[in-house]
Amino acid sequence: MLFNSYPFILLFLPAVLAGYFWLGKRGNLAPVIWLALASLTFYAVGSWQFVALLLLSIAFNYGIGHLLIVAKLGPSQRRAALALGVTGDLVVLGIFKYAGFVTENINVLAGTHFAVHILLPVGISFYTFTQIAFLVDAYRGQVAAYALPHYALFVTYFPHLIAGPILHHKDMIPQFERNETKLPDARLILCGVIIFAIGLFKKTCLADGIQPLVTLAFEARSPSFDQAWLGALAYTFQLYFDFSGYSDMAIGISLMFGIFLPVNFNSPYKATSIVDFWRRWHMTLSQFLRDYLYIPLGGNRRGRVLRYVNLMITMLLGGLWHGAAWTFVVWGALHGAYLCVNHAFNALVPNIPTAFAIPGRIAGTVLTFLAVVVAWVFFRAASVESALRVLHAMFDPSNIVFGREETAALVLVALYAGLVWLVPNTQTIMGYDHGGRRVGEAFLAGRMRPLVLYGASLALAFGILGIQSHSEFIYFRF
Amino acid sequence: MRGAFTYLRRLLLASIACVLGAAALVYVVDPLQLFRSSPRAFYSDDTRVQNAGLIRSQSFDTAFMGTSLAIHFRQSDIDRVLGVHSLKLAMTGSNSRQQSFVLEQAIDRGARRVIWEMDDFVFVDAADIEADPYLPVDLYRRTAKGIASYLFSAAMAKESAFTLVRSIPPLREPLSRAAPYLPVKFALADVDDIYALPQDYDVARDYNANKALASFAYITAPSRSRFLGEGYGYMAMVRHFEQDAFGLAARHPDVTFDIYFPPYSILQFVAMRDASPETLKIVTDLTAHIAQRLTQLPNVRLHDFRAIKAVTHDLSNYGDVIHHSPVVDAKVLQWLASGEYRVDARNPTASLDDLKAQVEAYRVPQ
Repeated sequence: MLFNSYPFILLFLPAVLAGYFWLGKRGNLAPVIWLALASLTFYAVGSWQFVALLLLSIAFNYGIGHLLIVAKLGPSQRRAALALGVTGDLVVLGIFKYAGFVTENINVLAGTHFAVHILLPVGISFYTFTQIAFLVDAYRGQVAAYALPHYALFVTYFPHLIAGPILHHKDMIPQFERNETKLPDARLILCGVIIFAIGLFKKTCLADGIQPLVTLAFEARSPSFDQAWLGALAYTFQLYFDFSGYSDMAIGISLMFGIFLPVNFNSPYKATSIVDFWRRWHMTLSQFLRDYLYIPLGGNRRGRVLRYVNLMITMLLGGLWHGAAWTFVVWGALHGAYLCVNHAFNALVPNIPTAFAIPGRIAGTVLTFLAVVVAWVFFRAASVESALRVLHAMFDPSNIVFGREETAALVLVALYAGLVWLVPNTQTIMGYDHGGRRVGEAFLAGRMRPLVLYGASLALAFGILGIQSHSEFIYFRF
Repeated sequence: MRGAFTYLRRLLLASIACVLGAAALVYVVDPLQLFRSSPRAFYSDDTRVQNAGLIRSQSFDTAFMGTSLAIHFRQSDIDRVLGVHSLKLAMTGSNSRQQSFVLEQAIDRGARRVIWEMDDFVFVDAADIEADPYLPVDLYRRTAKGIASYLFSAAMAKESAFTLVRSIPPLREPLSRAAPYLPVKFALADVDDIYALPQDYDVARDYNANKALASFAYITAPSRSRFLGEGYGYMAMVRHFEQDAFGLAARHPDVTFDIYFPPYSILQFVAMRDASPETLKIVTDLTAHIAQRLTQLPNVRLHDFRAIKAVTHDLSNYGDVIHHSPVVDAKVLQWLASGEYRVDARNPTASLDDLKAQVEAYRVPQ
């Protein structure tokens, strides 16, 4: 089921909310079970064939977690239990996500003709990562024993299940356990609806609105200089509004249930460096990669050279997480290289004098944005060869078309650039503070209230009017 | 707490009002002319949607159908050369399910003659028309779902708002001139301009031998040659032809069908010959089948332009291996008018045999 669909908005969400709060008056556990069952239903509507896999994954990880938290195991047994859990998760992920890719490469290298056709279960990367983090923390002794319904809800919780944000058990399960979240809070529901409306508008009007321009670069046999740039920029904005719109919707829906989800985007294209970009783009994935991959690899604690090696490994695996294709590997490698250059620059170049601070920040923003756009070309292209063709066109100003279609595209791209750089992001507008569990206080008490309220009603209206029958989320299959 | 509920109620009511207001705006402006025709209407190049309104709002006796091969024809040229009152419904990248469905709607609205540019690849296996996400069949049928999808649409509301602003006298002229350069879909003032090359288009720049040969090299490269036969399966293509083309013509014996195989450059077939001979066999077998079947129908006139060497071997006529320049469009209309290349029912594969010999003999310029 899609958030941007009439059945979800008009039937599923109101029904689940009503059931949740009705049961909330009767106890603490029933609403949790209700929400977990609703989440499974949400998943099953589009991916019924993978429900069993999801349930098996939950049972397996909960069982391993139980061994690590409750059973009195010795250190070697604990290590073995963790290895079993993580290996099991990675094997399943590997089979479903990477078996085809590995086979293709073996075929190329060995001249064989093996064929592997495995459908990718929706959300497998997200629910696998959340559970790996749970196991590692359980091994580190950082997890209290959780009841199975709460754990199952943590994994399946439908606002995040298929496209994130990636959740952390320490953040979520205590919220599921609280009694207060089982009773309707009008302020949280209002703020949730507004955040959902903004996200829906971003997805259906902004992301889907610019999507046709992407073909200028990526579906043309030989795009011109202007077509390649316009297509690449269109994709850059489409991806951002699609994914951040999805994250906003997830946060808004969750807020209606009284649960705060982590922020996943913080105006990433305003970043002044690549390091800054990764603190603002898909923030929950960045945190996961940092805490469960980069730091265990040694982080920056084993010297400068190994730090760069660790950065490259982390970003290469981060690239592969997004998809089993060489284009994603190149995308990850590019970002790894960008990060290494950024860290080397910080280490080698002295602080910029105050007089040059603002021009320096502007130059940093422009350079970062351009580097990100170049990397997105690999992210979007069907093959490395196709990406190189688009890039070649982007660096060949001798071939310019600039007809009516390109002029109209330029107007649209400029509008989106204005939105990205000049308009505050959702959490700023709403005063959303995930850590402090606060939202909407300033706007509800301030002069901006009617503006935000009626602006949100317009966003909701146009978000609903913008729903199309064939508009998935780009991040669906990651 | 009570205040927040009040705000929530206000927000939801305001949203409902906005949705209804947008629907009312679309109904009043009616950019597609689905409810009423308008002499001041503007049109869109998005022909899969635009055709639904054109069929309702235009008067015509002839429907013109095809793919991107037929996209640059102008209705006025068709009318002038063939002496008809036409409606151009060609859709880029369309398949035979879509074409047949749209033609059926046009026939129901009064078309007595159909001119149909028929590519072999329109018969590749694709979604059934009822499950097709790209052609709004309910909009054509004007079902409640189709009307609702039209009225409750942000894209149509945006177009309607722009149309409304453009109707204000001081803004009419400048906005009409600027519309093609703005991100609005309904920007064409003349129905003749729908998916046609602009009058001032530099034809020589985009149609020349260098482009055609570069395209040939591209599609025959070993890494891409497998795409030449993608979706091609003889039995499925025959089945779709029988259902969509033969079935439509047979169901409407009172409608005259002028069906033609367009003049691809010879490079199209040579590419298959060199890089995917099995695809070439499917194409030739399929068109032989089509020729044999269609020439049996008394209401069908089949024309085959694929073996006209003077055009197909002159690569300066092409932008790639199949798409020809508007100069060839004009010739196609002349050939249709004269019937010079009409397929003879007594020897339906004669032109195909010519083509096969040409393909066999052709050597690509180095």
